[in-house]
Amino acid sequence: MSEAILTPDSRPPTPGGGYLVGVDIGGTFTDCVVIDQAGVVTTAKSPSTPDDFARGMLDAMTAAAAALGTDLDGLCRQTELLSHGTTIGTNAIVQQRGAPVGLITTKGHSDVIHIMRGSRGITGRDIQQVVHFPESAKPDPIVPKRLIEGVSERVDCFGAVVVPLNEDEAEQAIRRLVAKGVKAIAICFLWSFRYPAHERRVKEMVQRIAPELFVSCSADLVPKWGEYERVTAVALNGYIGPLTSGYLRNLDGQLSARGYKQPLQITQCGGGTISVEKAISAPLLTLDSGPVAGVTGSQYLGDLMGCRNIITTDMGGTSFDVGLIFDGKPAYSFVSNTHQYEYFLPKVDIQAIGSGGGSLVRVDAATRTMRVGPESAGAVPGPACYGRGGTTATVTDADVVLGYLDPDNFAGGKIKLDKAAAVRAVQAVADQLGLSLVEAASGIAKIAEFQMADIIRKMTIQKGFDPRDFVLFAFGGAGPAHAGVFAGELGVSRVVVPQKKTASTWCAFGAASAHILHIHEQVDIQASPFLRERVNGNLAALEATAREQMAKDGIAAGRLVFELSIDMRHKGQINEVEVVLPASRLPADFHDDLAGRFFARYEQLYGKSSSFRGSRLEMVTFRIRASARTPQPKLVPTTGLTDTIPAAARRGSRAIWWDGLKRTQDDHRHHRGRASRQDLARGRVRQFRDRFEGVARCPRSAR
Amino acid sequence: MPKISEMTGTVFDGKQFGYVPPKTLTISPKLALHRQWDAEVDPVTFEVIRHALWNINEEHGATIQRISGSPIAMYALDLNPSILTEDAEFVFFGPYMQYMSGVTDTQVKWILEYRSDNPGIREGDMFLANDPWVGAAHQMDVMLICPVFHEGELFCWVTNCLHQYDIGGITPGSFCPSARDAFDEGILIPPIKIIENDEIRRDIEELYLRSSRKPDLVALDFRAQLAGNTTARTRVLELIRRYGATTVKGVMKKIIDNGERVFLQKLARLPDGVWRDRTYVECCRPGDRRVHRVMLTCRKAGGRLIFENEGTAPQDGAMNATYSGWRGSIMVAINELLCWDQYLSVGGALRHITFDPSPGTFNCANFPASVSTAPVQSMEISLYPAYNAISKMIYPDPEMRKDIMCIGGTSQWPATIFRGIDQWGERYGYLLIDPIGGAIGAFAQDDGISTGGQARTPICKLPNIEHTEQNFPLLFLYRKEVPDSGGAGKFRGGLSAESCFIPHNTDKITQDTLSSGNAVPTSTGMMGGYPATPNVYRFLKHSNVLERHGACRMVEDLGELTGEPVELQLRQENFVQEPTDVYAVTWSAAGGFGDPMDRDPAHVQEDVEDGNVTRDAARGLYGVVLDTENRVDRAATDALRAETRAARVKRHRAGGGAAPRKLAGAPMLQVSEYVALRLDGNTPHLTCSRCATDLGRSDDNYKSGCIREDNPIAAGNPHARNPERFIDAEPVFRQFFCPGCGGLVENEVATSDEPLLVDIELHDVGVARPKRQAAE
Repeated sequence: MSEAILTPDSRPPTPGGGYLVGVDIGGTFTDCVVIDQAGVVTTAKSPSTPDDFARGMLDAMTAAAAALGTDLDGLCRQTELLSHGTTIGTNAIVQQRGAPVGLITTKGHSDVIHIMRGSRGITGRDIQQVVHFPESAKPDPIVPKRLIEGVSERVDCFGAVVVPLNEDEAEQAIRRLVAKGVKAIAICFLWSFRYPAHERRVKEMVQRIAPELFVSCSADLVPKWGEYERVTAVALNGYIGPLTSGYLRNLDGQLSARGYKQPLQITQCGGGTISVEKAISAPLLTLDSGPVAGVTGSQYLGDLMGCRNIITTDMGGTSFDVGLIFDGKPAYSFVSNTHQYEYFLPKVDIQAIGSGGGSLVRVDAATRTMRVGPESAGAVPGPACYGRGGTTATVTDADVVLGYLDPDNFAGGKIKLDKAAAVRAVQAVADQLGLSLVEAASGIAKIAEFQMADIIRKMTIQKGFDPRDFVLFAFGGAGPAHAGVFAGELGVSRVVVPQKKTASTWCAFGAASAHILHIHEQVDIQASPFLRERVNGNLAALEATAREQMAKDGIAAGRLVFELSIDMRHKGQINEVEVVLPASRLPADFHDDLAGRFFARYEQLYGKSSSFRGSRLEMVTFRIRASARTPQPKLVPTTGLTDTIPAAARRGSRAIWWDGLKRTQDDHRHHRGRASRQDLARGRVRQFRDRFEGVARCPRSAR
Repeated sequence: MPKISEMTGTVFDGKQFGYVPPKTLTISPKLALHRQWDAEVDPVTFEVIRHALWNINEEHGATIQRISGSPIAMYALDLNPSILTEDAEFVFFGPYMQYMSGVTDTQVKWILEYRSDNPGIREGDMFLANDPWVGAAHQMDVMLICPVFHEGELFCWVTNCLHQYDIGGITPGSFCPSARDAFDEGILIPPIKIIENDEIRRDIEELYLRSSRKPDLVALDFRAQLAGNTTARTRVLELIRRYGATTVKGVMKKIIDNGERVFLQKLARLPDGVWRDRTYVECCRPGDRRVHRVMLTCRKAGGRLIFENEGTAPQDGAMNATYSGWRGSIMVAINELLCWDQYLSVGGALRHITFDPSPGTFNCANFPASVSTAPVQSMEISLYPAYNAISKMIYPDPEMRKDIMCIGGTSQWPATIFRGIDQWGERYGYLLIDPIGGAIGAFAQDDGISTGGQARTPICKLPNIEHTEQNFPLLFLYRKEVPDSGGAGKFRGGLSAESCFIPHNTDKITQDTLSSGNAVPTSTGMMGGYPATPNVYRFLKHSNVLERHGACRMVEDLGELTGEPVELQLRQENFVQEPTDVYAVTWSAAGGFGDPMDRDPAHVQEDVEDGNVTRDAARGLYGVVLDTENRVDRAATDALRAETRAARVKRHRAGGGAAPRKLAGAPMLQVSEYVALRLDGNTPHLTCSRCATDLGRSDDNYKSGCIREDNPIAAGNPHARNPERFIDAEPVFRQFFCPGCGGLVENEVATSDEPLLVDIELHDVGVARPKRQAAE
């Protein structure tokens, strides 16, 4: 069995530019990846600069330029496409540093964003916290009640105006908010996705009265059905708007001044990139775009390797993120949750659990039990081995004890881990449970690995996918060390670990490989029998919107690719599924084909005989994914991976615990015939990770 | 009425009386139980299997939601899955509708006792059940119960429960507010074998569906329940194959044993004693103007907890619940306050809890009482006071004090049942689900959570207004949090909300109400905290709303409109709402904790700025003086609060009250927020924890040692107005102040003829057993 691996970086970069550049700003480091015309990858890292992230970005690009034998201006001039993933918006929410935002909404409905549908934003939270109400409060409001203004206007479910907009009230509301010092105004009226004119009129009024404010309308951002998730989206957009747009304008200006001629592309959470202008007006689209870029990179690499179905896993310091690519396309979610705020956003689905390297180990000596996570040590204090004051054992500490992580070569050697501190922390666990040090450490690793297997199970088996049909990509600092085990648990037979240099800058790589993508949605709820003209009218309107946006971004019409879909459900029920249309309009005799596609997709997701063929169907959301291909990295596949380890790849060995063998030994002496299944899986991964810096696979015999 | 423990010779087999599982189950020898397990499981394997079992139960619930897809399953989350051991101890139950699983173990035990011989319990069987005298909350909560076999032995049970649209009875939807008894309600199904050899028995299924007005939907939900059990069973068997039956069973037993150990450790940190709460249900049938008393007693003796309902009114009308409904309700509070750290594994705790109600009371009703409305009335009122009683019990322990939670919102559900022809020309009927937005009660260290949901369904979510307006011919004028709705307190109860709508694109809507807790607040506060708003219906006929809309001037409150106010009664049937008639419903909010005059004035200022508290309440309830800009005047506030306290003492002394006596010495025990135990010589006394004023011997009611002032109920919450609209009795707000410092010690909501409630009785604190009974 042969496998493709990425060409190593041994060849010199080709001169002459035409570079594809991806830059990703993480919490600690800013990564820059430059790919030249011949497919040679150059990477650079620089510390992130939270006071002015643009500086860190330019630092990383400068470092990459130096490696290419040029300077920043030279790199900018020779760059064909620069894609950037920003975490400014995400950070503003995490650190609660967003702008004071005022909200204008339909009179009588000012409390929508506070009522939160009577929920407390519990999606993704540990159930123990959820049922323990003292720990289950609502998040701090994005907009306090005193900055919410109700204005007379009302539209009904048909999109008919029941009460026209009262412009006097609107003007007074705007002036009151301005007087209270807001920096942004969000506008969300009931049913605005059916009739956006009232919102747009108020937006014009804001732009006239207070042109310096960041203003956005819910119907322009997320024209979806459901006022809570829509108002949250537009309020968050306002909250992060001033900061994000200021940063992007500044950056765009600096890059232009340095000679970058093309439009700067910003990675978005829908899995592609958008123009900087779009990102400035809709910064919400950049939320969580970092992890999504990892999926985009996997999609690119998967295409190259001929993998259509991929489970992507990213185990970072604090969480474990899973994405899914099926038939070459990423799985989407349409409602997101950030810090307990739930909002509409078409986004590549990433499910996270707090089982990253930072997951804390909790011991109850009385019952002789232990748990791993969901609490995390975070970046500060971090795992004990970080030496930042943490003393409670984490998964990362267990990894160090077991030899899975190299203390001298963590995060590309940028962080030195304190092995003694890791041993102390894990020993404390061992002592309380009456276990040996390695028993405790391997137990911690095993519990974390099973939790990871469980979340992948939720993403696959519970959604009608069989993980055995997938290849698993493992990236992130700690993931590859565990991937063999959780892959084995799920019956996944191939694990791919991106090559080392790319792996540590994977999201930047993903940014560089992303296509331009705009997703537009429109809700028009209608029950069967469907009227073809009405449906095709919706589709045509979406296509027109997409063409307009792309034209604004300077994309030639000939480069555009459209994919149209409709979210449908059984009338009277809640579960919706996305039905992708085979053509851009419905043909005359569409009904049976469309219903067939719906039932097939529904039963795939919800189980055989879960659909109810006698019932009427309902269309809810119409969607277009409009993309334009960008120049792609031209990486060269290599064949001829062997089972033996080339001498050139050998590096110093280190002691690693093998759970199946129940002993520690140097990894290069590991003998396959005597290891357990899990060890084989894990061993292969680890060998390849350290030695080949390329693709790992678990032989089928190891399943 | 005698308690179960006093009714020797009575058979509690789920026929005349609700089934009460005996200590030892009588199981036919035809059924072999899997009874071997590993006494020791290493900590890593334990955690891996524990996590897997939790996930199996979670996947079970998710499967039901996915396949059902009904609004009941998706929004109201009116379902719950469980895993139980072979002998029906809980391993895990899900985070959905909490009281549902609380009635699960009784059903499984009944099946073990009454079905193991004939028709027998075999591999590939499942039982359908909804009989509230065996275990369901009400007839619509249909359970599907699946034994899991390993090598011919019954290894464990996986079960689920899902509320059905309609299961028969005189009212569509099967909530029957005017039912005379259970024969007017949905079909009753004691556990019957509906799946045999892994096949649906067509005859039984048709019998089941025949009673429903919506047989297609019930059939689809039945398949969802079936798929849920099948998924869970398959995964349990996978675990057994991988780790061995004795190991998996060892983990199940250890989960329960660990829960038991933690529970007993908690009890060991608490004093022995009795804690009580008293509330009322109104209107048990159309036209009824009585209040029906609800008593809850929580008795702690060493490592045992005993719950009783002695003093609760007799069964009557259409408001009742059965034994298992009452028990299941109280288990919700036990879970959330005492077992939250055990991931809803209550099996270990249940080994040390006795439920000893008095059969014939309305929350432990005998056959054939009407019970279809149980969850919205009788069970809510059985559950919510348990939060107060248990919270008072755990208060003395500083660590457990953090788990305290006052009674939350929608402690009685104000139903809006409506029907007609919708904007699409189709017939519809619906129960407005908005009150599930509830509110969460104040904590001992923080405010409650406004519109934070109903505590009994921790993960619920109400529909958006745009969802409701799409499906029904309504136009919501507003849905807003109601100022002053949350009980005042040092920590304020969460606010509830009011939903207000007019008909839109239809000629008329026909409605019924079904409510209680509109006259007497049911979300009382705790330890000085004030009650929350009661439920409120408002109905304005022939209003000027359409003129206001025409003039582009919308309203934010029904009170801004003119028209003819109509007083809706609590079980008013078939009233008609036309396009200019405005209907509004406020659901009860959450109780407050501690004396409002102890609240940080800065928080009161914030609440006023955000419209959560009115200026009137800021001054009247919190004693906070605000300037015209709503900024706190500190000096004036301090002075007002001090004057208010001094005036209480002054009034007391002027009325001939005795001079206070202070006790020296450090408190032995903090009994409640304002009551501490101190020694007077060798005799333990209860004292004011602020100023050490003696409130009497510890075996007396401390309230008797306080200054007592009775006021109309509106003094407790400004929304509690004019109770005479609904009931004949007069509810009062009683306050108890320290005769030394004038500080508030506790409040009581009661009808005027009721004796003082003895809410706290301490035992074994150095004196003889108490001489008092439940009421003086």
